Amino acid sequence: MNILIAARLAFARIIATKTRSGLTMLGIIIGVMALIALVSVAQGATSGIQDQFKGLGARNLTITGTTNQSITVDDVIEIAREPGVDIVSETVSGRATISSNQASTRAQVIGVDSDYITVVDPDIFVGSFLPNVENTKDARLIVLSSSLASDLELDAYSINSTIAVGSTEFTVVGILDDADGFGSQGSAYIPLDTAFKYVAVPPYLSSITVQTINEEIVPEVTANLTSLLKARHNISGEREADFVIVDASQLLDAIGTVQQFLSLLLGGIASISLVVGGIGIMNIMLVSVRERTREIGIRRAIGAQQSQILTQFLIEAIVLSLVGGIIGVIIGEIVAYFLAQLGQWNFALSPTMILASLGFSMFIGVVFGVWPARTASKLKPVEALRFE
Amino acid sequence: MAAVVEMSNVTKTYGEGSSIVKALDGVDIRIKKGEFVAIVGASGSGKSTMMNLIGCLDRPTKGVVKVAGEDLSELNDKKLTSLRNYAIGFVFQSFFLLPKTDALDNVATPLFYRGVPAKEARFRAMEMLTKLGMEDRYSHQSTELSGGQQQRVAIARALVTEPSLILADEPTGALDSKTGKQVMDLFADLNDEGKTIVLITHDLDVAKRATRRITLKDGKVINDERDKK
Repeated sequence: MNILIAARLAFARIIATKTRSGLTMLGIIIGVMALIALVSVAQGATSGIQDQFKGLGARNLTITGTTNQSITVDDVIEIAREPGVDIVSETVSGRATISSNQASTRAQVIGVDSDYITVVDPDIFVGSFLPNVENTKDARLIVLSSSLASDLELDAYSINSTIAVGSTEFTVVGILDDADGFGSQGSAYIPLDTAFKYVAVPPYLSSITVQTINEEIVPEVTANLTSLLKARHNISGEREADFVIVDASQLLDAIGTVQQFLSLLLGGIASISLVVGGIGIMNIMLVSVRERTREIGIRRAIGAQQSQILTQFLIEAIVLSLVGGIIGVIIGEIVAYFLAQLGQWNFALSPTMILASLGFSMFIGVVFGVWPARTASKLKPVEALRFE
Repeated sequence: MAAVVEMSNVTKTYGEGSSIVKALDGVDIRIKKGEFVAIVGASGSGKSTMMNLIGCLDRPTKGVVKVAGEDLSELNDKKLTSLRNYAIGFVFQSFFLLPKTDALDNVATPLFYRGVPAKEARFRAMEMLTKLGMEDRYSHQSTELSGGQQQRVAIARALVTEPSLILADEPTGALDSKTGKQVMDLFADLNDEGKTIVLITHDLDVAKRATRRITLKDGKVINDERDKK
């Protein structure tokens, strides 16, 4: 029998038994909806983080000491001489009590050099970042993150006001916009030499940020700097290095892995409900085959081959699961859209995901439709005709 | 003239061991092309088994059944199904139209299964409905038709494949006497056109409309009479 006629018959049946078909499809609808919505959450949430990392600069790599006394200002001088290195920015950090007239809190105070603004490019909410302080290296100027500013009950009008770091007075020159600044929340920034004077011990640094001349040579520079620093720190053979070099690609890779894992995990959970939906279809199809024994008998009597009966019932199961899948995709995308609004990440229709969901629901229809369809095709015509 | 149905020493048993039931016991009959035969018998006489064998729905336990020259025992399920489609036009007591399907597609379905393209199958189905005066009911489903109309659609479905014989199982059993008479008139007309008709019935008045009556009792043919021309 023509597949088209079988499909039309299947649609006619689904419409004729609306309530039952709807309830049967519900399992698939919920399964596909969950699959689409959960995977979009996994991808949306992590792609937001990925974008933030990309903001860090793909040309950058960061060297961090594993102890407080690992990397020094002398390392910076050597690093700057390496080929492929464009800019080197050094930071130190320490914790200190910061007090305004209204409030007081302990915070991370980071000492940065004049290249920091070029390499990291922080977003300014009000005022400016630390000005070029070559002439007054130990200027007592400070830039606050907005969360720290609010902890200290300062606002946009507090520019040029005075706060205390420990017992030393500093002038506030700017407040940062934390919203998409990565890792800067709750910190204050002061000039490097000022930091060495008040919160850190020279010549030890907490991190060095290196900007290479282009993205392609990042791995090569990473390798060169590793051997350079190992030699300088007298580390050889199997001994663990006292520093870690991280570039953006590694972070992006790590996030990519997290994203894949999350998608698989959430998708896997949703797939279970799809399988359960498939069992629902099988159940109803078995009932349907029993109810329609007489019809199958008539069809066999007037010349339907076993294969044609099998096709008819299989198509019915596939149409059920596919229609359920289509409804599930539509609802799932709507849910994903609202979740994206809620979580403030970009909503994107993924054709791959939609096709995969539809493919999977069709697959479920075939897998769970085969048994009922076989049962129908194996009915003996004589007995099926006599069935009341 | 060639025999449409040939049964030689046919036995059909059901069950096994002590619960064995002999439904047919050494039946020999030949039905020739153009005949109008009624197979008559009380309930349990074996006429349903006869109908299953003539209708290629079942195979004999012993003996040979040939329909349109084909020995049923030598055919696999696929070929037997094909033989039903080409050789037999079924008419059932309760019409047995397909649910959720309009009259036109009901008539066209045997042609669909044969692989006739949908357009051509529906065209031939429409022709057959027109012949039986049902052309203005082609889009109706069985639930929207009277008993007599349903039986006409069923007869159209039996005729559309141009089968070797029409096999009717108590075709008037579910109809009132007036409609029943109309259906029997239709069979008589079809026989006049040269169609071979086999009628299974327990109703002697219906059987009288045939030109030959085969009477079964306890699985045996006890009488086989032809009208004199």
